[in-house]
Amino acid sequence: MIVIGGGHAGTEAAALSARSGAKTLLLTQNLETIGQMSCNPAIGGIAKGTVVREVDALGGVMGRATDRAMIQFRMLNRSKGPAVWSPRAQCDRGLYRRAVRTELEALPNVQFRQGTVARLRLRGDRVAGVVTTDGREFAARAVVLTAGTFLRGRIFIGVDTVIPGGRAGESPVEEIAQDIDALGLTRERFKTGTPPRIDGRTVDLGRLQRQDGDSEPYWFSHFAEPVHPAQLPCYLTHTSDALREIVAAHVRESAMYGGAIGGRGPRYCPSIEDKIVRFPTASRHQIFLEPEGLETREMYVNGLSTSLPVDVQLRLLRAVVGMERAEMTRPGYAIEYDYFQPTQLDRTLSVRQVKGLYFAGQINGTTGYEEAAGQGVVAGLNAAAWALERAPIVFDRSMSYIGVLVDDLVTRGVDEPYRLFTSRSEFRLLLRQDSALRRMAPTAITMGLYGPAEKSRATGRLEAEQEVMNLASATTIRPDQANDLLGRAGETSILTPMRVAELAKRPNVDLADLLANAGVPRDYDTTRWAAIEIRYAGYLDRERGMAARLAEMEAFPIPAGTRYETFLALSTEAREKLTKVQPATLGQAARIPGVSPNDLHGIVLELQRAGPPMHRST
Amino acid sequence: MLSDLICATATPSGRAAVALVRLSGRGAVSVALRVLHWIPEREPEPRRAYLAVFHEADGTPFDRGLVTFYLAPASYTGEDLVEFACHGGLLTSSQLLAALTALGARPALPGEFTRRAVTHGKIDLIQAEAIGDLVDATTRAQGRAAIRQLHGGLSRRLADLRETLIDLLALLAYDIDFPEEDDGPVDRTALGAAIGRTTAAIDGLLETASLGERVRRGALVVIAGRPNAGKSSLFNALLGIERALVTEIEGTTRDTIEADLDLDGYAVRLADTAGLRSSEDRIERLGIEVSRRYLGAADLILLCVEGGADLTDEEQSLAARSNTLRVNTKVDLCSLPSPGVSALTGAGLGDLKRLLVDRLYGDVELLGDTTPLLTRERHQQGLAAALAALRDAAPEAGQGGDAVLAAHHVRRAVTALDELLGRVDVEEVFGRIFERFCVGK
Repeated sequence: MIVIGGGHAGTEAAALSARSGAKTLLLTQNLETIGQMSCNPAIGGIAKGTVVREVDALGGVMGRATDRAMIQFRMLNRSKGPAVWSPRAQCDRGLYRRAVRTELEALPNVQFRQGTVARLRLRGDRVAGVVTTDGREFAARAVVLTAGTFLRGRIFIGVDTVIPGGRAGESPVEEIAQDIDALGLTRERFKTGTPPRIDGRTVDLGRLQRQDGDSEPYWFSHFAEPVHPAQLPCYLTHTSDALREIVAAHVRESAMYGGAIGGRGPRYCPSIEDKIVRFPTASRHQIFLEPEGLETREMYVNGLSTSLPVDVQLRLLRAVVGMERAEMTRPGYAIEYDYFQPTQLDRTLSVRQVKGLYFAGQINGTTGYEEAAGQGVVAGLNAAAWALERAPIVFDRSMSYIGVLVDDLVTRGVDEPYRLFTSRSEFRLLLRQDSALRRMAPTAITMGLYGPAEKSRATGRLEAEQEVMNLASATTIRPDQANDLLGRAGETSILTPMRVAELAKRPNVDLADLLANAGVPRDYDTTRWAAIEIRYAGYLDRERGMAARLAEMEAFPIPAGTRYETFLALSTEAREKLTKVQPATLGQAARIPGVSPNDLHGIVLELQRAGPPMHRST
Repeated sequence: MLSDLICATATPSGRAAVALVRLSGRGAVSVALRVLHWIPEREPEPRRAYLAVFHEADGTPFDRGLVTFYLAPASYTGEDLVEFACHGGLLTSSQLLAALTALGARPALPGEFTRRAVTHGKIDLIQAEAIGDLVDATTRAQGRAAIRQLHGGLSRRLADLRETLIDLLALLAYDIDFPEEDDGPVDRTALGAAIGRTTAAIDGLLETASLGERVRRGALVVIAGRPNAGKSSLFNALLGIERALVTEIEGTTRDTIEADLDLDGYAVRLADTAGLRSSEDRIERLGIEVSRRYLGAADLILLCVEGGADLTDEEQSLAARSNTLRVNTKVDLCSLPSPGVSALTGAGLGDLKRLLVDRLYGDVELLGDTTPLLTRERHQQGLAAALAALRDAAPEAGQGGDAVLAAHHVRRAVTALDELLGRVDVEEVFGRIFERFCVGK
């Protein structure tokens, strides 16, 4: 199995393929940039942090690498319900890259080669291998392409500067892009941007608001708790009126607004030009200065993504409070690149018309390291399964954000770079960062992804959590043991002994404290899962009920190659969309925009008329 | 936008001048042309009536009538549709249906034409219900309510409510998914207020439910009183026909009699009951039991009291009910304050009718065309479910609440409205966020 690309999708694809037992080759233009963070130096965040936990629980590298590279950690949304607590870490870019390489090298099945792929080798409708630009050939039964922003990448700074490139200072790839065009896939363009970097020594940090991380340490990985590097603060500042005027005066010189770029960019990662043009009345915008690493004073200017000319960028920077004397080390830029509409993939991220070819990451129209990693896992596992002639694996929406991500992509397609949010899931309460191992471990164990030590650590952890749950249900607590605690939480006291699980439903009363007072203390960390499950029990039941209804729809298969044009009862729009997406189940069909309940009814009638539902062959 | 070919008679069967047969779906035009033996020198023009001869499958002509062609999507069903106006009676329309089915059409299921209109987005479910109501309407008020519903009054109101809830979901999603933005956290007080406004609006709609149901099904007006108080006379006078037996013998009416009445365009189900008294007669006692059940279900009770008589205990408790209207009867025998009627002379009847309309349907007139009525149990249930979900959401949306749980409940409310109307789409929620907030670092 060959993975093309060594970014966040490629490295996870390689790791999961290797763990599946497939002989895996990671082929990339530059081995030095394996695990490179192209944009902001942070991993995790809302919904994304949960994906990192899921990737880790399946055996991926992102969580482990983050734990070795984090220089600041914060649990976002801590003031909101625990269902949406979201871990995020600032990372040292260098440490992160090296940690990813180290983690991959720990997997004996992974080999590395530096080289640029020029062509796919096909045998009939199957992948047979790849050929590099320097003429080397590699045979493989499966190929995962994770090209990031490199396919026909064009970097824009202002309206006059256009540099072919996949990242600042790195060449784009053209040949493989042409080769894929020949497959007849629908290709489109997206753009994204990155802010300038500055020399931290030229910033008046004393005037800025210092942001330290949490004091409690946190580990993304379920399998190791290495000592974290030294911790650094970030700094919060904001734009000024002067900055707004500069942007307004020069907006036509921006690549985005000057008409140089046609591709669509993400609404949630707007450039400073976007912010000023779209919200002209906002008096100021936040700017976060984030350290690039421990051994450099260079800083990432989060919030100031721009494609204005270099000289304007410098003036902008100096119009930020505390940055009046800032020196710019690297300008920001916009980048435009090819992606392929992901509705051309099935739920294993396999290109429908070429067996053994998988796409993961930005090539599918997504944005974000974590989204790339999640797809890398799915593509890597399935490419290996294909190569080893095993059954494919599909990730369910109700089981993971990875499942939500892939299902959204292949079912709905994209019209702007796709980012995950908790709101994309109808199972927000089930898909928590604290439950990732419980949700993913059964799959990992069935597929043999864990080593013996990992397996015993995972099962040990899950059993300990379950033991707490059982203990909470079985243990009663007396009024004299409980009332002090209840009083402090502002809750009414109890008169007769009660089950710990019953009292733990009350807000502000913690399960760990109750167990301790009842004489059965347990490690705080181990009690988290049960505490949340008890607190949310009614809601979780409702979500599980919804998941069960969804499962019924998912259990109704639609044969591959169904000819919707012969289904008379469907609306024209539904017929077109269904033909394009080729859903594998009735549940997936239901999520296609433009397919109504009436259309679903029509599909069922037509399929039943055609005979009993066939089992899908893969 | 074509589905399989269906046909049915749109007019009732039996002797009539004209019967209308409709044919809808894929191939409607070509099948029609074959029945007409139309040599296609040129295509028939849509929405134009053609005089043509109809032929059986073996080619025998059997009738001559008008045919109108409609092309998708500009038709009732949103499909290609052909309307045949043939001669009425049992024979010709069944010959026509036989000819059409011989050419591949199938008989439509009940309501299938309207169902297809919903499928093709010509109307929504609530409007489809209104078509049913309009067909069933017997009074002007029923017709008016149905037409308003058909024109989208209720649909629009529900869609507006849904919009508000999607806005709320967007705010909650912003609160959860964008914690570090320029605009800062969402104002919880404003969230609570928005939920409050929505619950109030749903409450307002729910309050019309009994009224809407009353308009659609007709108000139940029960005439009650002691034996020989003139109930049956009033019943007959209001109906304008001698429907109930009237004698001077107490207890003549033993069973409750019901009749439909069109009162100034509003439907009324008028019930004449057995006189209330303690009786040894087993049949009369059973009749009085029935009376009491009617009184329990009544929208309005007309308590008949003969010219100034004192009220018995039971009459007094009846008179105290808010839905009771005391009517002095036999005013030709004495003079009394209104409302008083004389069934004999007809005096006071007009006033009483106006009073009835006002008491029963005054609120409908007041609402005018501004507030749509909920005319069905289904509407009421859907809105009640949405309301319950929003009541659960309110504390979680407010200060110190859990936004995740608030969103969970608001989503339940949206789902309830969706069952009445359409479907939620997560992209809708994000669209709102991006319109309103400058998000992203």
